[in-house]
Amino acid sequence: MTVRTRNTEWVHLTSMPWRVLVQRFSFILFMAASVGLLILGRAQPALIEGARAHIIDVLAPLLDAAARPMTVAQNISSRIESYRQLQKENDDLRSKNAQLAQWQNAVATLQNENRELHALLNFKTEPGLSYISARVIADTGGPFVRSLVVTAGKIDGVREGMAVMTGEGLIGRVIEVGDWSSRVLLITDLNSRIPVTIAGSGDRAILGGDNSAEPKLMYLPQDAVLNPGARVITSGHGGIFPPGLPVGTVSTTTHGVTSIMPLADLGRINYVQLVDFNLKGGAFNPLAAKVEAELNQQQR
Amino acid sequence: MLTTVWQRLDQGARLALPFVTALIFTLISAITLPLPWFGEVAPPLALIAVYYWAIHRPDLFWPSMAFGIGFLNDVVHFLPLGLSALIFVAAHHLVLTQRRFFVGHAFFMLWWGFALTMLIVMLATWGLQSAIRWQLVPFLPVVVQALLAIIIFPLPAWLLIRLQRLTLSHI
Repeated sequence: MTVRTRNTEWVHLTSMPWRVLVQRFSFILFMAASVGLLILGRAQPALIEGARAHIIDVLAPLLDAAARPMTVAQNISSRIESYRQLQKENDDLRSKNAQLAQWQNAVATLQNENRELHALLNFKTEPGLSYISARVIADTGGPFVRSLVVTAGKIDGVREGMAVMTGEGLIGRVIEVGDWSSRVLLITDLNSRIPVTIAGSGDRAILGGDNSAEPKLMYLPQDAVLNPGARVITSGHGGIFPPGLPVGTVSTTTHGVTSIMPLADLGRINYVQLVDFNLKGGAFNPLAAKVEAELNQQQR
Repeated sequence: MLTTVWQRLDQGARLALPFVTALIFTLISAITLPLPWFGEVAPPLALIAVYYWAIHRPDLFWPSMAFGIGFLNDVVHFLPLGLSALIFVAAHHLVLTQRRFFVGHAFFMLWWGFALTMLIVMLATWGLQSAIRWQLVPFLPVVVQALLAIIIFPLPAWLLIRLQRLTLSHI
């Protein structure tokens, strides 16, 4: 009985036109295609990331056009706000200016002193930093990922691994580069890991995101003493980021887990600076640099 | 002759409307809004479009389109490629099989149907994300996103109803 039913079904299916058959099975077909993509993404991440960067490049003008009215509205509203508070802002700026003038003197003195001491020690200076400015065109977060798309790519000199900052501090690093656009993984993302140092004590740790507003310090030495408000800066270890970029301040420590409050307001980012850390040989990939050094040695 | 060409173009544009609106919704959902942390819980507008068209014009919104929109959603939102595609194709199929309960009824039924779909999608997405990353991803933002999507649903749905009446009522 069963065999007969199966046979009948088979005959029924083969007599259908090809299109109807495809339509009937398109659900299974596209489910399988999706699963295939997911597996391919795990097996060949580089291939998938490359394709993704290209698609974002194509979409960048559309995203830019869609984001523009919002940027204009935001600019207008902030301008109106600043007109309203002009007097107060002026007073604040005057007092801040006076403070900064004092700081400027102090910095100039320290800089001189630093230079002289470096000369005495025959100290090798850090490579210089240069910045690439970019506008944020998409905040492609959702509940699972913390990332941004910005309007600068290979053509502007952006490379994978570059540190990304706002005026206040570090916000993330470049993880995908297209020709005209790049994707920035924020320091709060689950996959973000940044080598940091606690300013003052010099304790090293890794700043790991957990998708919450405050990333956590990992691999902190057992005896490290952290006071709330202590500044956290990049350590420069691994050669990926330049050392000394401000990241955040120690917020709270509960059950041995220390949270860091980022200096930059990650919820409202319109413009960013991509930091070009001019390491010789483009040592953004520490492993590549090591291999290169070994090859050089062999050649000698 | 010219009229025929224009008529055909006009017809083609109308027929492409469901896909185009879903495409626009996907791009809009990635725009940075001046609201702190909105990006984290921004409602998945693309899913609203997929849901709406699967119910109202399944003849113009095929599984391949649900797949395409899902793929684009993955690219734009930096999700594992294939994740939204899988979810959207499954949601499209689910809605198609249940559409007789929602189509032609009061708007409340459409809303109720979306709420159910959104809840299933929310759980599936969270489960898949956790499985792919091999760790439990935070659940609260997912719930907030789903609730926000359910609350705002009437607005994009109203827009789609208007568009459908304007352009597709005779096709």
